[in-house]
Amino acid sequence: MDTISLPATDRSPRVDFDFDGGRLALRGESYPEDAAAFYGPLLQALKGYLATVTTDPIVFEVGLAYFNSSSAKALMNLFMPLEDAAAEGRRVTIRWFYADGDETIAEAGEDFAADFSHARFEMVEEPV
Amino acid sequence: MTPEVTPTVDGPPVRRGGSLRGAGPRRSSDFLDAAGFADVPRAGNVDGATMRPGSLRGSARGRDLDSLAHTLFLRIYPVIAIVVLVTQIGIAWVNYSDQIRLYTERANLLAALTASAVARPDWSAQPEIYRHQVQALALDPTFRAVILRDASGTVVTTLGDMPRGRAWDLVIAQADLVAAPEAKPVGHLTLAISAEALRGNAEKQALLALVTSIILMLAFVVTLHANVRRHVLAPLKRLLVAMREVEHKSWVTVETGVRFRASNEIDVISQAFNRMVEGLRTGDEAKQLLKELETAHAKLAEANGLVMESIGYARRIQSSVLPDRAALAGTGLEVGVLWEPLHVVGGDYFWLEEVDGLGIVVVADCTGHGVPGAFLTLIVATALDRILHERRLRDPVEILRVLDAMVRVQLRQDGRGAESDDGLDCGVCIWNRETAELHFAGAGLALTCITDGIATRIRGAKRGLGYPQRPGEVFAVTETVVPVSRGTTFYLMTDGITDQMGGPKRQLLGHRGVADILGAHRDMPLSAQMAALEQALTRYRAGEARRDDMALVAFRTSPATAPP
Repeated sequence: MDTISLPATDRSPRVDFDFDGGRLALRGESYPEDAAAFYGPLLQALKGYLATVTTDPIVFEVGLAYFNSSSAKALMNLFMPLEDAAAEGRRVTIRWFYADGDETIAEAGEDFAADFSHARFEMVEEPV
Repeated sequence: MTPEVTPTVDGPPVRRGGSLRGAGPRRSSDFLDAAGFADVPRAGNVDGATMRPGSLRGSARGRDLDSLAHTLFLRIYPVIAIVVLVTQIGIAWVNYSDQIRLYTERANLLAALTASAVARPDWSAQPEIYRHQVQALALDPTFRAVILRDASGTVVTTLGDMPRGRAWDLVIAQADLVAAPEAKPVGHLTLAISAEALRGNAEKQALLALVTSIILMLAFVVTLHANVRRHVLAPLKRLLVAMREVEHKSWVTVETGVRFRASNEIDVISQAFNRMVEGLRTGDEAKQLLKELETAHAKLAEANGLVMESIGYARRIQSSVLPDRAALAGTGLEVGVLWEPLHVVGGDYFWLEEVDGLGIVVVADCTGHGVPGAFLTLIVATALDRILHERRLRDPVEILRVLDAMVRVQLRQDGRGAESDDGLDCGVCIWNRETAELHFAGAGLALTCITDGIATRIRGAKRGLGYPQRPGEVFAVTETVVPVSRGTTFYLMTDGITDQMGGPKRQLLGHRGVADILGAHRDMPLSAQMAALEQALTRYRAGEARRDDMALVAFRTSPATAPP
C-alpha cells in the first residue's frame, strides 16, 4: 500500500496515512472549500487498504483544532469503515486529540465516540 | 536573411567630400550589408520597441566611419608634404648656391690666370701672345665664350658665342689685363662658362623631393588606413552592429578580447556599452514580467469583479428571503438577530413568524457556505413554507421530521443515487404565549438559555437533517418543553458563532465563551447585545479569519408582556 502524505495548508490538515505501519493521522485544521474532494481520495485509499489487509491493527490519530461540518461528515465517513473493521475483529484504535480547555473539540470527540462500539476511542488531552 | 532594400524614408545617402573621395573606401552601411545585416521586420517587438527601428541606422548612414581616415589624411598629409618639400627645396637651394659659388670662383680664377698671362704692353698687336691662352680656355668642358678687349674697349678677339643679357645657365667672369702693378689696365677679359650641369643637378634634386613626398604619402595612406581600420573602424563597426541588435531588443554585447584590440578609448566605450546592454536586458525582463503580472492581475480583478457583482446580487435575493426582524412583535417577544455570511451569501438561515398566535423561530445551518450554502437555504425556505402553511405543522419534532424528509427528497438523497451528501443542522422553537412555554426540538443545533448570567444548553439530536440515511438509522429528534420565566434569554445559534479561532491559546471560543460574552451584556436590548457580541468575536479572533457563516437569533419575553 502506498503511503499518503500531504502537507498542511491553511484550510486542510496534514495527512499521514502510513498503511504499512497501520498508522493514520490528521493534524491541523480542516475547512476545505470542497471537503468531499479532499477526503474522497483518503476514504477510497482507506477502504482499499481495509479490503486488502484485514488483520493488522490500526491506529488513527485525529488532532484538529477546527473542522467545519462538511469535514465532520467526512470524518464520520472515515470512521465508519474502521468501526466495521473493528466489528469484524480487527484491533482499531481512534485517538482523538484536543487541546487543554478546548471544550468544542472535546465535545465533538465525545459525540464521535458515542458512535463506536467496537473500535477503541481514546480521548487524549494535549497541554497547550 | 533578406538583402536589404534601402528604405525610401532615409532618402539617398549624403556624400561628403565627393571629389576627394573618388571611388572611396566602403561606407559603414555597405559594410553592414556585406556583413549580412539587414532590417528584417521582427514581429512582436515592434510595438513595444523603445526606439524606432532604423533610427540608429539612419544616423550611421549619413556619417561615414571611413571618413575618419580621410579626415586624418586630409588634415595631416598636406602639412607633412609641405614640410618635406620645403626641406628638400632648402637643401637643394643650399647645394645649388654652393655650386654656383664654386663655379664663379673657378671662372674668376681662369679669367685672372688668362688675363695675367696675356697682359703685356702691345699684346693686342701680337696675336701669338693671346691666341694660345684663349684656345687653352676653350679646353675647359664648361667653356662657353671669351672676349678680349684692348684698353680702348675694342674687341680684339672672341671665341664662342657670348650671349646677350643675363643667362641663368652661364657664369660670367671679368678680369682686367694689368701689365705692371699700379699701372693702368691694358685690356679687359670677359669669360663665360656653362652651369648647365648644375641645373641638371637641381632638377634631379627637385624630382627626388617630389618622389619622396609621393612615396611618403602612399606609405602614410596605407599605414593610416590599416591602423584606423583595425583599431578604430572594426571595433566601431562591431559596436554599431551590436547597437542595431540592441535596437531590436536582442541583447547582444560586444566582444572586447578580439585579435586586433580596439584603441583604449573604444575599449572603454565597448565595456560601458556592454554594461548598458546588461542593464537594459535585466530592466527589460523585469518590465516584461511586470507587464505580464499586471495583465494577469487586471484579468483576475475583472473576473473577481464580475463574480462579486453576481454574488452581491445573490445577497439581495437571499436577504429578501429572510424574514422581517420584527415579525414576532405581536407575540410579546423581543428579538435580536446576528446574521453574517462568511462570503456575502451563505448557508445559515433563520425563520421568524407568528402563526396562529404562536411564535416560530427556526435557525438552520446548511452544509457549505457561500453560493452552495445559499442554494440549500432556498430549499429549506421553500420546505418550511410548505410545512408551516400547507401542512400547518406546529409541533417542532414533526416540523423537523418533515423538513428532514423534504430536503432529502429535494436533493435526491433518498436512495435515487445522488452524488451529494448535504443537509442541515436545525433548531426549532415554538413559543406559546398562552401557556408561557417554549417547545424546542433540535437536530445538530442546541438551544442556549441564559438566566442571570448562568447558561444552560439543551442539545438536540446529533444528526442533522436531509442527509442520506444509513441503513437502520432512525429519526431521533425529541422535544423539550421549557417553561419561560422573565429574565431568561434564549439563543439559537449556528456553530459559526461558537467556532471562532483565536484567543491567547489560539483555540475555538466555544459555547462557554459565547455564553460568557452574552451573559456579560445581558442587560442590553437584544439588538445592542448582538452588536456587542459581534465586536467581542472580532476582538477574540484578533486578525484570524472567520471560519464559517454566522447566524444567531436571540429572544426573550418583552418586559411589558412578560409573565411574572
